Amino acid sequence: MGHGNRTGGMMDESNHWYGHSRILGRYCGMPEETPRRIQGFLQHGWNYLHGFPPNDHWCSPGYPRFIWSDVLRRRGWSMGRRGHYLIGAPWIYLLHLEPDLGVRRDRKGTIWYPFHGWEKHSVSGDHARLADEIRDVETGPVTVCLYWLEYANPDIRRSYESRGFRVICHGERGSRWESKGRDFLRKQLVELRRHRRVASNRLGSALFYGASVGCEVAVYGDPMQFEDERPEYGGTARRMRLWPELHGTSVDPGLAAEVARRELGFEYQATPEELRRMFGWKRMREGVPSPGGAAGAKRPERRKAAAHGDRARLTG
Amino acid sequence: MATEPASRGEAMNTSTNETNPGASTPETSPSPGPGTREAPGNVRLIGGEMLLWSDATALGGVTDWRGTALELAGRVVPADGRVLLVGPHPQALVDEVAGRARATSVLLRSYPDACALGERHPELTIFCGRLEALEAAEDGGEPYDLVLALDGLSRTHSAEAPAAAWAESLEALAALVAPGGLLLLGVRNDLGVDRFIEARPADREGADDQWAPHGFDPSYPGGPEALDAGLETAGLSVQRRYAAFPDRQAPRALLSREALAFDLPEALTFALSAREGERMLVADPLRLTRLVFRHRLGEQLAPLWLVVATRPPLGGDAVRPVELPLGLIEEGHALYELTATGARRLPGGEERPIPAGRVVEEILVEACAREDVKTVRELLAALAGWLEAGGDATAATDSLVYDGRRFAAVGPPGPAPVRQEPRVVLCRILWRFAVRLLAAGHHHPWPWPLEADQLTLTLCGMAGRPCDQGDLDQARKLDAELGRPAELAEHAPAYRDLLGARDRLADQLTAALARISRLETKLSYRERELVRAKAKLRRTQRKATAYRRTLGYRLSRRLARPRKVARRVIRLLSG
Repeated sequence: MGHGNRTGGMMDESNHWYGHSRILGRYCGMPEETPRRIQGFLQHGWNYLHGFPPNDHWCSPGYPRFIWSDVLRRRGWSMGRRGHYLIGAPWIYLLHLEPDLGVRRDRKGTIWYPFHGWEKHSVSGDHARLADEIRDVETGPVTVCLYWLEYANPDIRRSYESRGFRVICHGERGSRWESKGRDFLRKQLVELRRHRRVASNRLGSALFYGASVGCEVAVYGDPMQFEDERPEYGGTARRMRLWPELHGTSVDPGLAAEVARRELGFEYQATPEELRRMFGWKRMREGVPSPGGAAGAKRPERRKAAAHGDRARLTG
Repeated sequence: MATEPASRGEAMNTSTNETNPGASTPETSPSPGPGTREAPGNVRLIGGEMLLWSDATALGGVTDWRGTALELAGRVVPADGRVLLVGPHPQALVDEVAGRARATSVLLRSYPDACALGERHPELTIFCGRLEALEAAEDGGEPYDLVLALDGLSRTHSAEAPAAAWAESLEALAALVAPGGLLLLGVRNDLGVDRFIEARPADREGADDQWAPHGFDPSYPGGPEALDAGLETAGLSVQRRYAAFPDRQAPRALLSREALAFDLPEALTFALSAREGERMLVADPLRLTRLVFRHRLGEQLAPLWLVVATRPPLGGDAVRPVELPLGLIEEGHALYELTATGARRLPGGEERPIPAGRVVEEILVEACAREDVKTVRELLAALAGWLEAGGDATAATDSLVYDGRRFAAVGPPGPAPVRQEPRVVLCRILWRFAVRLLAAGHHHPWPWPLEADQLTLTLCGMAGRPCDQGDLDQARKLDAELGRPAELAEHAPAYRDLLGARDRLADQLTAALARISRLETKLSYRERELVRAKAKLRRTQRKATAYRRTLGYRLSRRLARPRKVARRVIRLLSG
């Protein structure tokens, strides 16, 4: 079925990437195994436009856009988008749920996230040269974390492994029906908490995630290019203008943590009840005051069965 | 509206029995004609009396003075002096003045009103007719130590004579004030903030009392300074001038010029805008009145002024010392006097500082306009904490101020309700806010809960105090018990509200259509998927059937069967 979700029917598929909907479901105390549909659009990665890609026509008006920080709302508003609702990144809910997961006293080395393409756009860049640069800069052990597409490419893997780096992958980003991406962020959290330092050739979600759990930050190396990078973002030059202090082989950790708090919207953490209502997860119980509990409890079971059935048929 | 004066005329006919319209011309004949109700002995007809007219009906627009005017009048009525009430006044005020003064006279233009008052108060002297005729009728009688004309001068005219200009009427009125005596005069401001918001100004509707249209009299005061000048021309000197709010029809607060010079706290000014009555408005009075105070235009744009003026005493007589309050404010049944450092409740309350801070509703409305859900969450959580720590259960977002640390009630606490859980109390407060927010058409960030109930439950969730439908029902009951309905919803919508609502509906429709088309697309996609899955299933089934028919399969089943039978026999024997 691939990931042709942008133009196909699964327009809110991105809500379920990286296990986001599962994390939020857990935060909201939802019992289901399969995450419920979110009536709206979750921002699924750090972004410096309005929380969504420039061609966001699939975000129908009338559905809320759940975004991470206020600057995205303001920018989006100025670009004609409405219905923003600030809840911060799913990451902050994961940290809320897992204050101790993977916490270690002996944090060592650097986890390095080379900028990645995605299922429809690959990036062009020279991984071998990047690996050399990493080897020159980093002093401790290096873990290189690749996106699954690049991880699947033995040439790319080899260019890092050959320099003695540990190469890992957090997995696919998954979907609502598959369990593949469900632990993506948890794995990432565990990895980030065992490293002292996080680095990349581009500012991105992983870097801010790292900064938020106490990693030192570095941004260096060839930023690489999307094959058809959208001009709306303003390119690398704009990132350099907006966050000059975050670029370089060593960055003020206090400052990085501060920026991460802002970019991930820590201040905007919503309450579980609020999210349940905003996501439309509360609806079916409305109007059925007391016996609704029993009816509501049954529903997930049935759903689960159906989901399993679906999966069985799709994979069979 | 246009039909009502006619019905009033009919009502009047029945109440005054069979009136013969031709029988008396009041200007020439001092006694009413045959068939008219017999006047009580204390009613004197002075000329210009209106036989078939009453100012007593509620719709007549007589200024509905209550506690503030009563308090002020109580302070200025001389115990041993003569008092004259000019024009119609609320019954309570007449009773109060009549009870305090040694001798009270009343001037009314309406004959039925004069008779009714004469019967109710046999000790009063009641002149019935127009103001300009009074001086002549009195035959040089003594002037008065106090003259009250709180309803203004427009209802001292009679249809029997051409309406006098405002300045002329004032002159006639001033002539009735004794040297050293006081005049309390109400003057409606043609540029009052309440005029801005009227979609249909009442004084342009050509009602029955508009035989002389209002608004074309060049001597009518065009501002507070012009008012002062007019009074001085009439030989009076202004002692204090009050701006009355929230509207000219029912003033509930009097703020002196001196008080308005201060930066008045929001806890005080927020309550000074009102939406009463069924009139169609252009805009929400609240927003406009808030701006008036922010721009320090409280005096210029007051709906009504109330001046206390005195005629300078002759020779070396001293002016009677009168202590005039800085301001008087009614809140429900409570009356407060504004002092230089705070406010004290009357009668006899202690002076307390007015709580500082911003009105909670306004903080929330601003946060909603900014889509600043963080502030909403924090403020609501703080509010919930305050309620749990024993905060006033009758509070509401529109009657609380918050200075960043503490909440304080703007008005006096209402009657304590039946003890309720803080959760329900919070739910009620938020429900009230939700109703008001939606009714006022403010922008807000919540896309789904477009109705007040859903929004309330979301807000409760944001405060970290989830409530369910049952709590909400209880909260609604509590609100009804407190008896302060979330008002806005019940009134005729303002024109701006209508425009706003239309725009909102258009947006919602666009959004709804977009959602429908999205869901349609999704549905088609799912249907295709289902068809594909079904076809796949059918193919698989067919394949399975074909497989079952193959020789190999059947052979293997055959071979398997004896083995199975053997196994069963062994199990039976061993079990």
